[in-house]
Amino acid sequence: MNLAQFTKSIRWRLLLWLAFLLVCILTGFGVTAYQFQRITRLKEIDDEFVQRVAALSADARNSLSSDNPPDATMLDEDFSDRAPPGSEPLETNPRRRTIRLSVQTQMLLNPWDTNGFYYAFWSQDGDLFKQSANAPRGLKLPERPMPDTVYRIRARGEFREAYHFTEMGECALVGRNIAADLAAMHRFALLLVAVGGAVLAIGLGGSGWLVNRALRPVEKISDAARRISGGKLSERINVAETDSELGQLANTLNSTFARLDAAFTRQKQFTAVAAHELRTPVAVMLTHAQNGMAAGGTSDEQREAFDACLRAAQRMRRLIELLLALSRFDAGQETMKRVPFDLSRATRECVELIRPLAEEQQVQIYTALSPLEIFGDVERLTQVITNLLANAIQYNRPNGEVRVKLERHNDLAELTISDTGAGIPVEDLPRIFERFYRVDKSRVSSGLGLGLAISKAIIEAHGGTIAVSSRLNIGTIFFIQLPA
Amino acid sequence: MRLLVVEDEPDLLNGLARALRRAGYAVDLAADGADGLYKAEGTDYDAIVLDVMLPKLDGWEVLARLRNTKKTPVLILTARDQTADRVRGLDTGADDYLVKPFDNDELLARLRALIRRAAGQTHSKIEIGEVLIDTRARAVARAGEPVTLTAREYAILEYLALHRGEVVSRTELYEHLLDESDDTLSNLVDVHIFGIRKKLGAELIATRRHQGYCIEK
Repeated sequence: MNLAQFTKSIRWRLLLWLAFLLVCILTGFGVTAYQFQRITRLKEIDDEFVQRVAALSADARNSLSSDNPPDATMLDEDFSDRAPPGSEPLETNPRRRTIRLSVQTQMLLNPWDTNGFYYAFWSQDGDLFKQSANAPRGLKLPERPMPDTVYRIRARGEFREAYHFTEMGECALVGRNIAADLAAMHRFALLLVAVGGAVLAIGLGGSGWLVNRALRPVEKISDAARRISGGKLSERINVAETDSELGQLANTLNSTFARLDAAFTRQKQFTAVAAHELRTPVAVMLTHAQNGMAAGGTSDEQREAFDACLRAAQRMRRLIELLLALSRFDAGQETMKRVPFDLSRATRECVELIRPLAEEQQVQIYTALSPLEIFGDVERLTQVITNLLANAIQYNRPNGEVRVKLERHNDLAELTISDTGAGIPVEDLPRIFERFYRVDKSRVSSGLGLGLAISKAIIEAHGGTIAVSSRLNIGTIFFIQLPA
Repeated sequence: MRLLVVEDEPDLLNGLARALRRAGYAVDLAADGADGLYKAEGTDYDAIVLDVMLPKLDGWEVLARLRNTKKTPVLILTARDQTADRVRGLDTGADDYLVKPFDNDELLARLRALIRRAAGQTHSKIEIGEVLIDTRARAVARAGEPVTLTAREYAILEYLALHRGEVVSRTELYEHLLDESDDTLSNLVDVHIFGIRKKLGAELIATRRHQGYCIEK
C-alpha cells in the first residue's frame, strides 16, 4: 500500500478523525479541569489570606485603641527570640506604634512553617514598622490604586499576598510562598496530561479495533468481488450477519453475482443445448434424405431435391459440431493433447494437402519452414493451418501467392501465412475472429463463418496467440505464435 | 438379422426403420424406454439401436436392466457426445456409440461389425468352401461367380454362416429374420433353404432332423 492509498483508505481516515476528535475532547476536558482546579485552589489560598489580613488589621485597630495594656504579649520580641535559624533577624521598629497579636491571630500566622504565612504592617507614611520574621526580603508597600479598604491580592513570583489599607491609611499584608501549591498544580497538570494520553491511546486502540471489525466485512466483500471478477463466477460473499447494513449490501451483491453467474451459465449452455436440440432433427433429415437417395427409381428432380436436402443437412451437421466445439472451448471443457511434434513437418503436410486447391485457383505456395518441435495437439493445429491456407488460397487473386514461414523467436514458434488477395478492410479486422462474421456480407460462401473463431480458440487453448494484419489490394497476413 | 430400434422421435424412428429394412434387416420398433426394454428382454435380437434420451425409461436405464438378462449387442445413439457420456455408455455395457446426426452408411457398417463380433467373426467376408459371402456388400459368390439371392435367402444364409457350426432351429430363424409386423406366409424357411441349396449347392446347408439347419465348420 503506497502513501496515497494509505491516506485514502477509509480505515486510516476514520482513525485520523477519531484521533483528532479525541485529542480535542481530551484537551478541552484537561484544560477545563486544570483551570477549575487552579482557580479553586487560588480562591482557597486567597480566602486564607483575607481571613488573616482581617485578623491582623483587627489586631492593629485593637492595639491602637487599648494603648498597650500591660497584659499584652509583645510578640515582636517573642518572634525575635524564637526566629528559626537562618531567618532574617527581625527589624524592630523603634516607633512607639506597636501591634499586639491576639492568640487567635498568632495561631493563624504560625511562623514555624517555612512556607507558612508572613505578615507586614506599614504606617500611613508607608514606613514598614512591623513584619514577621519569615517575611521575604525586599517586601514593598503595595500601591493603593484607590482610597478604599478593599482586600486585594497580589502575586510576586512564587509569593502571593493579600493586603488592605485601613481607614487610617495603614497597610496590613499577609502572604505566603505558594511554590508548593504551584508545584501541586503542575503535578495535577502532568497527571491530566498522562491520563489524557492514556485515554487517547486506549481510545485509539479501541477505535482501531472497532474500525477493523467494522471494515472486515467490507474486506471480505471486496475479496469475494475480486475473485468473482477474476472469473470465479460461482464464488459468493459469506454473510454471517444478515441484518446489518453490510450484510444487506453483501446480500444485494450476492444476488447480483448470482444473476450474473446464471446469465453467463445460460449463455454458455445455450449454444450447447441448442446444438444438442438440433442434432435429432438433422439426423431425421439426413436419414430420410439418404433413404430417398437410396430408394432409386426417382426422377432427376426428386434426386436433386434429396441431394439438396442432404447437402443442407451435412452443412448443418458440421455447423452443429463446430458450435458445440466452440461452446466446449468457452466452458474450458475442450482439452488439448500435449504431444511433442515437428510443427514444420505438420505445416508441410498441410501445404501438400491443400496444393490441389491452390493449383485449381492458380495460386503459388512458397514455404520457408525451419524444423521446430512443439508440444500440442497436432490434429487441432493442423486444422488451424489448413483453414488459414484454404482462406489464403480462396480469397487470393488469380496467379497470386501464398507464403508460409515458420521460425523460432526465443521461446515462441512463429508461423506466418500471407496472401496477395484483396485484403480485409480496416473496420472488419478486429471482428474477423468473431463467430459467423463475414467480411464480404454479400458473398455466397461455402464456409461456415466459424473457421477463424475455431482457429483462435484452438491457438489460445495452446497458450498461443493469433493476429491478423491486412492492406487492401495488397494482401493479408496471419501471425500465429505458439509456445515452443 | 433382426434388430430393435428404440427412439422417441417418430420421424427418425421411421427413417431408421426404412433404412435398416432396405439393408435387409428385420426391424422392430419401440418409441419409449419401457417398451424398448420389454421387447429387448422378450426377443433375441441380433443388435439393438438405443437412443439415450427416452421417455419413461432413459437409455442408460434400459441398458443397465437389459444387461441383467441379455448380452444382445447394443449401439447407443445419442445427441450427447461428451467423452464422459461415451465412457458412461461403454461402461454401462454398450457395444458401440454413434452421435447424431450420423450417416446411414456409418450406422449400417457399425451394426454389421457389431453383429459380426457378437458371432465371433472378425472379418466382413465369410468363406465357406467355394462360397464367399460379403456381408458388407450383401453379395454372395460361388467359385468366383456372383450368385443372386433374394433378400430372405441372403438373410438366412448370412445368419447360418455367422453361426457356423451351430444348429439353428426354424423358430430361431423365424425370430431373427422376421420382425413383429411381418406375418406373410411366404416366409416359410424351408422354401428359402431350398432356394439357397439350388443356387449354392445342396451340401452347403445340412438339415438336422427335428432340430434345424447347420453350416458345418
